[in-house]
Amino acid sequence: MSSLEQKYNDKIVKGFLISGLVWGVASMLVGVWIAFQMVYPELNFGPYFTFGRLRPLHTNAAIFGFALSIIFATGYHTVQRLCRVRIWSDKLAYLHLFLYNLTIIAAAITLPLGLNQSKEYAELEWPLDLSIVIWFVIFLINYFATIFTREEKQLYSAIWFYIASWVTIPILFIVNNLSIPVSWIKSYSVYSGVYDANIQWWYGHNAVAFVLTTPFLGLMYYYLPKHIKQPIYSHRLSIIHFWSLIFLYIWAGPHHLLYSPLPDWLQTTGMVFSIMLWMPSWGGMLNGFLTLTQAKEKIKTDATLKMLLVGLTFYGMSTFEGPLLSIRAVSGLGHNTDWIIGHVHGGTLGWVGMMSFAVIYYLVPRLWNTNLFSERLANVHFWVATLGILLYIVSMWVSGISEGSMWRAIDETGALKFPNWVQITETLKPYRLFRGIGGGLYFIGLIIMIYNVVRTIMNSGSGFKEIDLRIGSKEEKVV
Amino acid sequence: MNWFDKLLDWFSGFTDQWEKHGVKFTLYTTIAILIGGMFELIPPFFLTKTAEPIQNVKPYNALELAGRDVYQKEGCNNCHTQMIRPFKWEVDRFDPQHSYGKDGYSKAGEYVYDHPFLWGSKRTGPDLAHESQIQPSAEWHKTHLINPRDTAKGSIMPAYPWLFEESATIDASKIADHMRGLQKVGVPYTEEDILSAPNLLAGKTAGDALIAYLLKLGRDTAELSKSLQ
Repeated sequence: MSSLEQKYNDKIVKGFLISGLVWGVASMLVGVWIAFQMVYPELNFGPYFTFGRLRPLHTNAAIFGFALSIIFATGYHTVQRLCRVRIWSDKLAYLHLFLYNLTIIAAAITLPLGLNQSKEYAELEWPLDLSIVIWFVIFLINYFATIFTREEKQLYSAIWFYIASWVTIPILFIVNNLSIPVSWIKSYSVYSGVYDANIQWWYGHNAVAFVLTTPFLGLMYYYLPKHIKQPIYSHRLSIIHFWSLIFLYIWAGPHHLLYSPLPDWLQTTGMVFSIMLWMPSWGGMLNGFLTLTQAKEKIKTDATLKMLLVGLTFYGMSTFEGPLLSIRAVSGLGHNTDWIIGHVHGGTLGWVGMMSFAVIYYLVPRLWNTNLFSERLANVHFWVATLGILLYIVSMWVSGISEGSMWRAIDETGALKFPNWVQITETLKPYRLFRGIGGGLYFIGLIIMIYNVVRTIMNSGSGFKEIDLRIGSKEEKVV
Repeated sequence: MNWFDKLLDWFSGFTDQWEKHGVKFTLYTTIAILIGGMFELIPPFFLTKTAEPIQNVKPYNALELAGRDVYQKEGCNNCHTQMIRPFKWEVDRFDPQHSYGKDGYSKAGEYVYDHPFLWGSKRTGPDLAHESQIQPSAEWHKTHLINPRDTAKGSIMPAYPWLFEESATIDASKIADHMRGLQKVGVPYTEEDILSAPNLLAGKTAGDALIAYLLKLGRDTAELSKSLQ
């Protein structure tokens, strides 16, 4: 352990892990809050805490605070081990951690103040955008320098997914955020109307692809085999699904704009590529599942493994639902409704969240050199969170499909059956209440995990026996 | 599945080499993502037909622009869409007076001066693309914004009373700067438009501006279609 400590910089991993927990609490707390605002408008404490201002705070804290922290933590952890070298520069890594958190804090202050550029998942105003570019470049230099000085010749599949994310995120981010500043706190997009929509959803969809999907696949490719001490099921499957996934994903953006004034050929392209995406997505899911079946006897007892299993299941489910929703006829019903909210949260709570929790349970005992405080609490977390997700997405499915059906319902004379909008809102209220409760359960699960993690860290240094899979897999292999 | 295995062998023959070479790997990954990206982003820029300005559609005046800023600041686009899809049930709901004839859905030309676009992605409240034709009363909008429950019992919209307080009075010089910025990205504001800002904005609150913006939505095209009928 001590030689490992000298070889690899794990402080940076710890740093990002803790910021992940902090921003996880912030984003999910706001998430639960705005879920209840949808039922009880009195919860809008104006002007700073109205739904319109808190919703971007929720998504930004969840995607760029929680998910990105976990991505950076695992990115730094895996790159050192897979390249068998220490991160190229410790100083740049700490600078990255510092500037990153500073930006997220600034985001948490400016969004409730109403400073935003109104582009979904790219709400932050231009000075914050610039600071993001700065720390991302710092990170890129450090990461690629580590790869170029590596001792391990072959780049393992986990690293491919991280690399694809690192090169694509800046391209998406910079192109979509080009704007003309008119003051320190206000800017206007350089694109207008239909073009702006096209670029925004090219970005928006690929934020899902290259922030919430590929890094988490990379994470899966490293931590799943590591955790069960079995190799990944098929290397060739990972090759084919990696290249097809990154090639196809980038085309899918226009499925967010079906039936809009966007050129029809572009909408169709987006739809066709979205349907094709189903195959590489399920390729990744199957590779994970088939790997997992090698250790199926452990699933009953191991909460981390259960989380990986449920995470993969939700990945499969939301990547089935996505192409389904991108079919014009289905989009006609589902677009703009709560169904989409349910779909997104199946992916984020189920796939991103569960995979993140699994990684936290894997990493914390190893990083702080002790054993997990309570495996039973981890198990409770698993069940509470799973119940929460199910309650959330089922209520959103019912709500969304009801919503879409009521919008389009016409009577025998051809007139709208529900012309009164509030009548529809009232119908959806109970489902939206259940969504809030589901989200609340998921949040409680997170708090249980944080308690577990804090108690584990308090025991730090009591000793954890780490076995490196690539060195120790043969001796450890369970038949 | 023999042919598939052969295809895989052929493909992994390349990738095996790339996996040992960080620069090549990164380069090919970048190329893979750029192909789709460029295909989607570049051609639409040259298809002027898709976003031909409708002659009647005018840029937002100083007051309307200030209102659009308020709309953005309050994040109205998180709950209200501004894009009517070409379905009968959607046109009937969001263009009840049939101000646009049968084609009451949204056209590209209506959005040419929108930096950024504000179509939104979730319709928790009704669509506002042609709001001026649905609810033309400024007084109604004011009551609605101060407390949505007064005009629509059961609404879950937040109340925005502070928009009409004295502290929410708009600074005309800021809006003039905003118009100059928009000029740079191609909105055809004249010097006159910019100089008219102090007059238009005198004593106006954020709420007044927001209402002016809402009453601009769909107005120009509705007038065009009325003049054609």
